[in-house]
Amino acid sequence: MTVSEAREAKDRELRALQAALAAEHAAVYGYGVVGGRIGKDRRPEARTAYDAHRARRDALVRAVKDVGGEPVAAAAGYALPFQVPDAAAAVRLAAELEDRVAGVYGDLVRAGTGERRREAADAMREAAVRSVRWSSRSVAFPGLAERGGPASGSPAPTT
Amino acid sequence: MSFPPSPRARSGPRRRSLLAAAPAALLVAGCSAGPGDSGAGGGSRPSAADRARARAARDSGELAARYDAVVAAHPKLAERLRPLRAEVVRHAEAFGGTADSSPSPSASASASASASGTPGSGKAGPSASPAAVPAKPKDALAELAAAEREIADRRVKALLDAPGELARLLASVAAAGAAHVYLLTEA
Repeated sequence: MTVSEAREAKDRELRALQAALAAEHAAVYGYGVVGGRIGKDRRPEARTAYDAHRARRDALVRAVKDVGGEPVAAAAGYALPFQVPDAAAAVRLAAELEDRVAGVYGDLVRAGTGERRREAADAMREAAVRSVRWSSRSVAFPGLAERGGPASGSPAPTT
Repeated sequence: MSFPPSPRARSGPRRRSLLAAAPAALLVAGCSAGPGDSGAGGGSRPSAADRARARAARDSGELAARYDAVVAAHPKLAERLRPLRAEVVRHAEAFGGTADSSPSPSASASASASASGTPGSGKAGPSASPAAVPAKPKDALAELAAAEREIADRRVKALLDAPGELARLLASVAAAGAAHVYLLTEA
């Protein structure tokens, strides 16, 4: 690998880390919404997921710094993919959040190496399991939009 | 650096602002699959990658056969297992295997026949099972889950040395396997 190739690979990894961090920011935010709407019976589950995403977010902040980047900050607000008026919608939102997170971790698996890649694969697996817990439906290729996995249909940015 | 306080919207009024005001970021950041994709860095050892791919395909094919065996022994599980098996077959195909890599066509044939035909007798006769499938449906599911778990673990190991795009596929399929474990055991 030449020097410039190595730098390129590092840039790719940093971009994937930042994208994963941004997605975890959004997931933490989204689970705040979920927590406010979810039924009492599933609230502990939502809380556990919320904590898990916070932990992943913090780990990604450290990882971005480790490779010399400035961690992206959370946005003040996020556009929800659909309205969340009740517990059923909250469950759907939770599944959606997990699907999207799985997608960015897939990209991080591709861009990363070694321990970082393993961590990303772990995070991807956890997201897929949480997603199926929420939705009770499994998909063949979690996080792979091009294979009809649920990371497809990303909403347009709202500004 | 410090984060803004975690925005945990619990109360009603908060909701309006979430839905209406939608500044800045999009919820998703998964769209980085841009230009640099095809290169899928570092694939300098095609033969190792090919071997990993072939192994993954074989694992999925054998897993599909296990599903067939369980369904043959326990027709009542057919409906529950059908979507999972279908995904396993898609995994095999994604790794370059074929859909009918299952070595037990007779198992699937008899499975589908009995699934549609027989009034459930609870337990299928021992003769119906080509491989050793536990007599209790619950145990059969647990064994399937164990197989799924074992293969998913192997994939996570394999992806560490795989070129980027194959690693991503392995990670996704391992994640699907973990979800199957959940569906087979908890759900």
